[in-house]
Amino acid sequence: MILQYKCPSCGSDMSFNPESGELSCQSCGKHENIENYPEELRTASFSEDEANEYHCENCGAVLITTAETAATSCGFCGAGVVIADRLSGHLAPQKVIPFTISKEEAIKAFQKWCRKGLLTPKGFMTADRIKSITGMYIPFWLFDLNSKVQVDAECTKVRTYTQGDYIYTETKYYDAFRDINLEYIKVPVDASEKMNDELMDKLEPYPYDQLKDFKTPYLAGYIAEKYNYTDEELLPRAKDKISGYIESYISSTLTGYHSVNYKNKHIDTRNVNSDYVLLPVWMVSYDYNHSEYTFVMNGQTGKIVGKPPISTGKVATWFSGIAAGTFLALKCVSYLMGGGFW
Amino acid sequence: MSGSRMKKQGFLFLFMTLLLLLPLGIRAKAETFDRNHYIYDYAEVLTDQEVAELQALSSKLGEERDTAFIIITVNGTDGKEIKQYVEDFYDEHAPGYDQPHGNTAILTIDLQGRDVYLAGFKKAEQYLDDGRMDSIRDNITPDLSAGNYFQAFSAFLNTSHEYMGYEPGDGSEESKGYDPGGGTGEYTGNDPGGGPGEYMGYEPSGDPENILFKWWFQFIAAITVAGVIVAIMVFRSGGRVTVNAQTYIDSNQSKVISQSDNFVRQTVTKQRKPSNNNTHTGGGGSGGGITSGGHSHSGSSGKF
Repeated sequence: MILQYKCPSCGSDMSFNPESGELSCQSCGKHENIENYPEELRTASFSEDEANEYHCENCGAVLITTAETAATSCGFCGAGVVIADRLSGHLAPQKVIPFTISKEEAIKAFQKWCRKGLLTPKGFMTADRIKSITGMYIPFWLFDLNSKVQVDAECTKVRTYTQGDYIYTETKYYDAFRDINLEYIKVPVDASEKMNDELMDKLEPYPYDQLKDFKTPYLAGYIAEKYNYTDEELLPRAKDKISGYIESYISSTLTGYHSVNYKNKHIDTRNVNSDYVLLPVWMVSYDYNHSEYTFVMNGQTGKIVGKPPISTGKVATWFSGIAAGTFLALKCVSYLMGGGFW
Repeated sequence: MSGSRMKKQGFLFLFMTLLLLLPLGIRAKAETFDRNHYIYDYAEVLTDQEVAELQALSSKLGEERDTAFIIITVNGTDGKEIKQYVEDFYDEHAPGYDQPHGNTAILTIDLQGRDVYLAGFKKAEQYLDDGRMDSIRDNITPDLSAGNYFQAFSAFLNTSHEYMGYEPGDGSEESKGYDPGGGTGEYTGNDPGGGPGEYMGYEPSGDPENILFKWWFQFIAAITVAGVIVAIMVFRSGGRVTVNAQTYIDSNQSKVISQSDNFVRQTVTKQRKPSNNNTHTGGGGSGGGITSGGHSHSGSSGKF
């Protein structure tokens, strides 16, 4: 089953408008509030074999989608299409952060970002070769994690003092024990196979106050995917993401010692709750020098990540400039210290 | 009779003349001492070509520092202390770069006693003080011991030339940098009586061995700094992680539930305070002094 949104006034296709946060009609300008839209997908279920092929309701063309696609546009008439059975039942997202950055704003922000690149080649900085820019809802799991930590450590305090002709070094040993309860909420882990984890991690943080109850109209006009990995499969990655935070929390409880030697460290992290959400990302693909570069932009905050091309000329210029500057500065320091300039 | 008298007188005259001329001859030798001749290989440890090379190097480097760099090799010093020998050499021959008894640095080795002595006069006394001379001597002693005289002498010329490019340091502080036994940095410097900066463990200004003055260090440091900064720039060009431990933590619920810190035991070790008297004066061997001709000089002596 597929969903399409028709304007009640003129019958055109409606799509989500990031500026107003509502469904809007391109033809007559009608806006419809999404929050009040009925949502029945969570309970709806479709039999597996009901539809393997989807047809656009406008023109009847076959929608070519990958198995993960949950929202797309008809390749022929451009109408926003939501494939409902890929978002229903256990595949129904709980929440969504809608786009607040429109396509035009995304392009502008991207061009601005390119101009700021200190090491990117000149031709790249003009950012006039954007091949495509696609708004995508990426499936994420938001984990609420609870960690119970018990730590035993041998710690020392060292004091030195002078008495007579001797310097005394006094080392006091302590047995320290800490029982810590840690709660991490809404740790995001992307559940899409296609997306590079490293890039996705850099897109954080997402403003969670923008989380809305999921309604399919938010997806109209964008591409969305269903998750490739379940929360169980991604729990290790979520644990991995917070393990550094846990370590730093533990060491922050053991201050005042000169050395800390962990004898026993027991960390038990459990998944308290995991929510399936869709988060907005602009994908920019860019042609430069016959190769394609992909950038992703947080559809809420506008943060851009991705490896831009690096100009060797600019790297060399910066390198030699800094090296020469430092060399000169050191020469001056040595001169001021009486070492002679050469 | 008269003929034989004449003969005798003639002999006497000749003898007297010779007697008169003898000191003159010696004086004449002193007067004609070639101040542009820097290599005195009395012990003949160098080949003619090596002598020529050292002579060329010495005159070239000497010109840049207005100083005569002299090298003397001897086989025995007529029972004199090697220091005495060098002092007498300076008094007697009056070497110097542009004037008699001028700026001079002398390296003397005695193969018989296996002594080495370095002396600096005038400008060289100031720039090549005892500490720096010790440093140079430390540099060349291994080569001398191994019999690589040419290398040792070249090193002497080059190092002296280099050191004279640095402002002279305060002699009393200078030696601190070479304190061989001192546990630098161990002593925290809260000595109430010690003058400020007496023993702070830092390298005194003007110390030619200070790594900051080495062009290669400056070069490497500059390359490293530039490399690190550019690497960070390249690394950051792709965006960076802006979340931290505080982003996802629920600080209301996260806390230490229970804790204990129990004292178990303590150990105390003691260590003798590094002595304030620097040990180098005894070890390195008498530094400079004053020649019998009244010329003061710096110096460093040792064995090889």
